[in-house]
Amino acid sequence: MADVIIGIGNDSRGDDGIGPRVAEAVPARLGLETLAVHQLVPELAERLRTADRVLFIDARIDGTSIRLDRIGPEAHRGVGHSCSPESLLGWTQLAYGTVPEAWLLSVPGRSFGMGEGLSASAEARIPDAMGRIETWLDGRGTPDPTDGEEVA
Amino acid sequence: MERQIRIEPVTRIEGHAKITVFLDGAGDVRDAQFHVTELRGFEKFCEGRTLWEMPGLTARICGICPVSHILASAKACDEILAVRIPETAVLLRRLMNLGQIVQSHALSFFYLSAPDFLLGWDADPATRNVVGLVAEHPELARKGIRLRAFGQEIIDRLGGKRIHPAWAVPGGVNRSLSAEDRRWFLDNLPEAMDTIRGTLDLFKASFDCEARGVLGEFTSMYMGLVGSDGTWEHYDGRIRIVDQDGSIVVEGHDPSRYFDIIVEASAPWTYLKFPHYEPMGFPDGMYRVGPLGRVNVCEAFGTPEADAGLEAFRAEASRCSGKVFDYHYARLLEILASLERIGVLLDDERILSPRVRAEAGVNRLEGVGIHEAPRGTLIHHYQVDDDGLIEKANFIVSTGHNNLAMNRAVAEIAKMYIHKGDVTEGMLNRIEGGIRAYDPCLSCSVHAVGQMPIVLDVVDADGGLAQTVTKE
Repeated sequence: MADVIIGIGNDSRGDDGIGPRVAEAVPARLGLETLAVHQLVPELAERLRTADRVLFIDARIDGTSIRLDRIGPEAHRGVGHSCSPESLLGWTQLAYGTVPEAWLLSVPGRSFGMGEGLSASAEARIPDAMGRIETWLDGRGTPDPTDGEEVA
Repeated sequence: MERQIRIEPVTRIEGHAKITVFLDGAGDVRDAQFHVTELRGFEKFCEGRTLWEMPGLTARICGICPVSHILASAKACDEILAVRIPETAVLLRRLMNLGQIVQSHALSFFYLSAPDFLLGWDADPATRNVVGLVAEHPELARKGIRLRAFGQEIIDRLGGKRIHPAWAVPGGVNRSLSAEDRRWFLDNLPEAMDTIRGTLDLFKASFDCEARGVLGEFTSMYMGLVGSDGTWEHYDGRIRIVDQDGSIVVEGHDPSRYFDIIVEASAPWTYLKFPHYEPMGFPDGMYRVGPLGRVNVCEAFGTPEADAGLEAFRAEASRCSGKVFDYHYARLLEILASLERIGVLLDDERILSPRVRAEAGVNRLEGVGIHEAPRGTLIHHYQVDDDGLIEKANFIVSTGHNNLAMNRAVAEIAKMYIHKGDVTEGMLNRIEGGIRAYDPCLSCSVHAVGQMPIVLDVVDADGGLAQTVTKE
C-alpha cells in the first residue's frame, strides 16, 4: 500500500512554487513518497503504477479558497516534456494498465511573476493546505465529503 | 502569383514557432522560414548578478535542460576563478551530463519522434502519437519510460532531488556521490543497456539508408567538441568543424576563443539568431550541431559497442551523413555511448572521493564555459567586474547553432512534397518531423515556453489570406 504526494510548480515564479513548498513540508511516514517537481513528466508513470493513491498539489490562478478535487485519467493524444495531472494518469493507465486513485489539491496564488518566495496570502494558506493533506493521509480508503468543494 | 504558406505553431517541440513556405507563381516552393516568435532575454537579466548565482540563475532558462546550463555556467565560472577543479568533480559533472544526454535523447526519441516514423508519416493524427506507439509497440514504450527515468535518476541523485539543483558550482560540485547511489546506478545500468540495444536493432531493421532520406538530405558543415585523439567528447575537448566529406575545416580550436570562428547574424522575422562559421559568411557558414553533428565530427566513440554501431552507421551511408532523419539514428548511438561511458565512470574508484570543490575568488574578469548539451554545443560567456558582478553575458545555445540548418531542412522537405500549391496533411507532418529531428528547445534559444496546435495560413503575394488549415 503506497501513497504518493507530488507538488508541482516553479519556485522562480512566485506563488507557482506553492506546490513544491507544501509537498516538501509534509512529514515523512511509512508508505508515503513525496516528490517536488517543476512540472509533471511522462516517466512519473513509473512511480504511479505501483501507487494506491496519489495527491497532486498545484497552484491555482483563480478562486480564493483551497480546493480538493477527485480527478481521474484523461484520454489524451500524447505526451511531451510536460503534462497535466489528468493526462499523466491517462498515460499511466495506457502504459501500464493501472492507475491509482487521485486527488488534486489546488491552492490559490496571487503573484506569478519572476521571483522566488510566496506572496503573503499564499504563505497564509499553507497551514490550511497542510491540514487538508493530513486529512487526506489519514482518511485513506474513505470518500472525502468535501471532494470538489472549496474549503477553508 | 506567389503564395506564402504558414504553419504555426509547430507541435511537440519546446517553445513557440511557426513556419512560412513561400511558393512561386507555379505553386512550387521558392523558400521557407522557421520563425521563433517569442523573446525572454536572459542575457540582460543576468547583468549585475554575482557569478556565484549564475549556475542556479541560468538553470532557470529552461525547465527541460537546466542541467546543461548549470554545467556550462559552472565551467565559465571556473575560468573566472582560474582554478583547476578536483578530478572527482570532473568525473561527477561528466556523469551528470551523460545522464542528461540519456534522458533527453530518450524523451526525444520515444515520446516525441518515434510515433512519426514507427507508425507512419501518413497515419491518422489521432493515433500517430505516443498513445498509438503504446498500442503498436507496448514493450518498447514502457522500456522508453524506464530508460528516460534512469537518466533522470542520475540527475536527481547527484543533484539532491531538488528542482533546478545548484549542484555544479564555481570550482566544482557541492555534493559528492554516495556509495549507495553508485550501487544503484550500477545495478540499473544493464537494463538501460539492453533497452538501447533492442531499440537500435528495431530502428535499423525498420529503416534502410534509402528510407532515412524521408526528411531530406543536404550538404553542410558539422561542429562539435572532440578529444585530443578525435574521439566523441561531451564535457571538455576542443572545437572541430568538418565539411560534408568529413574533411577538417577547423581542428583543435580553443573553445574559450569560440568568437574567433563563430559569429551571430540576426533576421527581422525571427528572435532566434543565426550563429555561423565566420570565415564563410552568412548564410554560407551554416553548420549543424547536436547528435548528428557530434557523430559526424568524431573519429570514434571510444567505447566498444558504440564504436561498432558507428561503424555500421557509416558503412550504410558515408563518413558524414547529411540526412536530417539520421539525427534520430545518431541520438540512439549517443545513448549507447553515454551508457557505456557511465559504466566506465562508475568503475573508477576516484568517483567516490569527497574532495569535489576548489575554493577561490575572482582571479579573471572573463570566462567561457562550453560543453555538449544533448541538442548540441552550449556556450556561456561572462565578463565580470572585480567583485564578480556580471557585466556582460552571452549564451549561444544548441538550437541556435542549428537555426540555419532547420530553415534549410524545412525548405528541402517543402520542395520534396509541395507541388502546384497542393498542401497535404502528410506534408505538414514531414515538415514538423524535419524540425523535430533537431529536437529544438526554443525555451533555451530565446527562452519561450509552451506547446500549441498548428495553424497553416496560405497567403498570396499581395498579402491576402487565401487559405487556413488548422491542426489541433
